[in-house]
Amino acid sequence: MSLLTEAPPRRRPVTPPMTHEAPQTPASGDAAPAGIPAIQIKGVDFSYGDKQVLKDVTLDIPQNQVVAFIGPSGCGKTTLLRCFNRMNDLVPGARVTKGSIIIEGANIADKSIDPVQLRRHVGMVFQKYNPFPRSIYDNVAYGPRTLGEKKKAALDEVVERSLRRAALWDEVKDRLQDMATGLSGGQQQRLCIARTMAVDPEIILMDEPCSALDPIATAHVEDLILGLREHYTIVIVTHNMQQATRVSDSTAFFYLGEMVEYAATRKIFENPSNKRTLDYISGRFG
Amino acid sequence: MHSDTPHILREFDQAFASLRNEVIAMAGQARLNLERAMQGLLQRDLERCKAAIADDDEVDEAELRIDRIGMETLVRFHPVASDLRLVITSMKCAANLERVSDHATNIAKRARKMLSRSECAEVSFLEPLYALADQQLRDAMSAYTDRNAELGQSLQLRDKDLDKMHKRLIATFTSRLEEGGERAEDYLHLVFVARSLERIGDLAKNIGEDAVFLDQARDIRHEKLNRPVSDEVGAE
Repeated sequence: MSLLTEAPPRRRPVTPPMTHEAPQTPASGDAAPAGIPAIQIKGVDFSYGDKQVLKDVTLDIPQNQVVAFIGPSGCGKTTLLRCFNRMNDLVPGARVTKGSIIIEGANIADKSIDPVQLRRHVGMVFQKYNPFPRSIYDNVAYGPRTLGEKKKAALDEVVERSLRRAALWDEVKDRLQDMATGLSGGQQQRLCIARTMAVDPEIILMDEPCSALDPIATAHVEDLILGLREHYTIVIVTHNMQQATRVSDSTAFFYLGEMVEYAATRKIFENPSNKRTLDYISGRFG
Repeated sequence: MHSDTPHILREFDQAFASLRNEVIAMAGQARLNLERAMQGLLQRDLERCKAAIADDDEVDEAELRIDRIGMETLVRFHPVASDLRLVITSMKCAANLERVSDHATNIAKRARKMLSRSECAEVSFLEPLYALADQQLRDAMSAYTDRNAELGQSLQLRDKDLDKMHKRLIATFTSRLEEGGERAEDYLHLVFVARSLERIGDLAKNIGEDAVFLDQARDIRHEKLNRPVSDEVGAE
């Protein structure tokens, strides 16, 4: 099982640089998302100590789709996101108490799964951009180097490809040795996305990736997300519902630890089936 | 689905109430203009014809107000789902009502011309057509205000009844028109009035279709266009 291997070979051939062609129109149907699931969540309960924060959550996240998690603070959406790469393992007392999460056919809670390898397959971008205090080049090369890549030509290729996919290459190609922290906020966040992509994950988790960015930087990141769908499965937690409508194919609404509704984004925002969803997206939550 | 839960922003609810009230008031004015125009024609009352023509400006202004409130609402509140549908439907409803009032003006102008001539008995032939068109307009507005998809959708079929009645009247008036004589001009005016009433039925149907979209997020416009091509050919 690939999640167990120490340094799996790259599964995809080297792809040509991304272009900035218009992204495909998101799925227009109302039905729940279909396709081969990249992540299967089956009846998951999750608790922080005695406090249950997820209740019987079940959903499939299809490959090469952008799925948005929305809901009020404390509804469990970030907790679920952090389950996908076992980031919650680092929190004392936090655990999945029921159900399973299947990625690449494996239950990620299985003892044979190496969380470090899991996180290579399931990358994460955080709310606050967090580049290392090193050069732009070193930030992107950090992951491959950690995985044992030493050849400069190979590293150069990974750095360029990742920065191109992050739509950042043209802006930084002449200053790769500059400090990453000297970039603008939006550029730093896209650098973090490039750093995530450098280890060739299948799934990218984004926890409010634009909440610290201005509208222009946010637009750059959203444009990037739409383009990345071709290569990755993306799960994004956002409080910005316009952002969810712009970038996601499907949206799941969470409330008090329950997944209330999961459907095509267009369906959720045009004609949701559940009144709690309608009240939340239209600003009526009291 | 629609929610009666108050919005967190009070101004949101105020803006939406204002939009809805403007549309209802505009519908009242458009119907009043139509009523005055038809009464002017049927009862040979010049003052009512003049009032119908003069008050068309109020309907035009209402359309501008509704569009402005709708735009402001979209910009300020970014409504979604049933709220977004209310804004879109209200703006489309206003456009249809403006056309209703235009037809009322056309009828009033035709009536004014007919008043300068001796009374034409066949004017009364238009009464059932007017009653049907007005009823459809009332029901269309009820469908909008009550978010009643069933009533809104019923207007599609009922408009066909109105079309049939219109067709019969046009046949009657044109046959008399072809006979010539001093009444020919009156019959020509009646053809145009009948045409306006038929168009008002179409506009009521449009509002009814939009009410279905408002209530259920279903777009039922042009549904006949979805029939297989073979059906269309067969119909021809």
